[in-house]
Amino acid sequence: MLTVDAIDTFYGEFQALEGISLKVEKGQTVIVVGPNGAGKSTLLKTILGLQKPRKGSIRFQGEEITGAPAHKVVERGISMVPEGGRVFPDLSVQDNLRVGSYNPVARPKAQTQMEQIFDLFPILSDRKKQAAGSLSGGERQMLAIARSLMSCPKLIMLDEPSLGLAPLVVNMVFDFIQKMKAEGYAILLVEQNANKALKVADYAYLVESGKLIYEGDRDSFDQNPYIKTAYLGL
Amino acid sequence: MLEQLLMAFINGILLGGVLALLAFGLNLIFGVVKIIHMAYGQFVMLGFYFIYYFYTAWHLPLLVAMAGGIIVMGLLGMLVQLLIINPLLDAPRLNQLLALASLIIVLENLAQVVWGADYRGIPISMPIIQFGDIFIRSSYLLAFLGAIATLGILYLFLHKTYFGLAIRSVAQDVEMARGMGINPKVIYYITLAAGGALTGVVAAFFIPIYTVHPHFGASFTLMAFVIVVFGGMGNLLGGFISAFIIGVVTSITAVLASTEVADILALVMFILMMMVRPQGILGAKA
Repeated sequence: MLTVDAIDTFYGEFQALEGISLKVEKGQTVIVVGPNGAGKSTLLKTILGLQKPRKGSIRFQGEEITGAPAHKVVERGISMVPEGGRVFPDLSVQDNLRVGSYNPVARPKAQTQMEQIFDLFPILSDRKKQAAGSLSGGERQMLAIARSLMSCPKLIMLDEPSLGLAPLVVNMVFDFIQKMKAEGYAILLVEQNANKALKVADYAYLVESGKLIYEGDRDSFDQNPYIKTAYLGL
Repeated sequence: MLEQLLMAFINGILLGGVLALLAFGLNLIFGVVKIIHMAYGQFVMLGFYFIYYFYTAWHLPLLVAMAGGIIVMGLLGMLVQLLIINPLLDAPRLNQLLALASLIIVLENLAQVVWGADYRGIPISMPIIQFGDIFIRSSYLLAFLGAIATLGILYLFLHKTYFGLAIRSVAQDVEMARGMGINPKVIYYITLAAGGALTGVVAAFFIPIYTVHPHFGASFTLMAFVIVVFGGMGNLLGGFISAFIIGVVTSITAVLASTEVADILALVMFILMMMVRPQGILGAKA
């Protein structure tokens, strides 16, 4: 479904990604684990078209999307849940969801989609008129996830959804990812919390300093001695 | 004296409404594109000339001439986006500011070449309305009501349409807005078109009040800028409130002292605000 082939991404002279390749198949949940500053966020931004790669190619559903602007990529069915539940603080909860359905493919379905989301997240329904900036960290993360569903995506990318949240809320977030997975969405999840992320993963990549260090299915990833000590704390 | 003060207060409110409309476009452009449209008052001047031209040279009915002026100014707004702002989007702030400040000179000289240095206007006599001892010029009242109505329409546009929603998202977080599938370039064009059309609307309301000359716009650029910064740059509600404060204060001071003192007072208030609360009335702390 998504094929990333040997991409390099730079910020000015600083190289954030070096020859990263990965694949997400239909209905699969793929995780990218790595420390802070490894380039995980840059990877997602490059796929979405917020950053242009200098080299390499990105294909989605058989079509080349390398260097395409984000609004084209979103339209094709990729959405992102940004780090820290980055919602629009001065927009109401409802308006945040509506922005999610901005692309022409999603717009006609916005109303029904929003009703489904309010069924799924009653807390957002209760607060729909409230400014998103007044929500708690967990609620904001929920809103960011809900917003990403509004664009009718086929692939959802999540950037550190557990960051800065209380353990109980982290569990809620991962329960929700599990639910999305069950509904058949393809998921690309970037996490520092490798223990949690591995539980939902079909396939995993390890990235350090912008480079791919290791990849494998859940079991082999789990058993790798380096990953065990450095990332799983075993 | 009391009637005079009351009258000044009412005139201040009426003026405030028009100033609010004037400042709105500048504020919107800053909020969304993060650029200070230095030639904003000069756009009002051009709008005035276009309406004047359509009315006197093409003999169009006044309302049609006004609509024409508004449309032309909207298109000119987009042209500024295309020729000046787009190429400088990632340039240092100072370069953007200087480029748009140069536009002031270009537009003023262009107006002088095309229409000459004479004062021009469309003579329209509008009645003065009397309530007891209070006299109100209906041209001011009309401008006020028109400004408030226009602001109402803009509010609905920003809050009830997808384009309005996109404009507000881009203003808050342009990267995230792109991540939602919004193309900011399109939003910038819409914003500059709306800002340009607004200068046409302001010019239309100014027709019965003023005559125009090539340097007509300078004081409005300054006024709009003062109001926007006073209210908090990019904060539309702040700009609205500060327009009325500036309108009332200058109007009352003009009665108590003179219009010159009123202008001085407005700018002194502005300078004090910059010292005490540089983010303006409702602006967020930088």
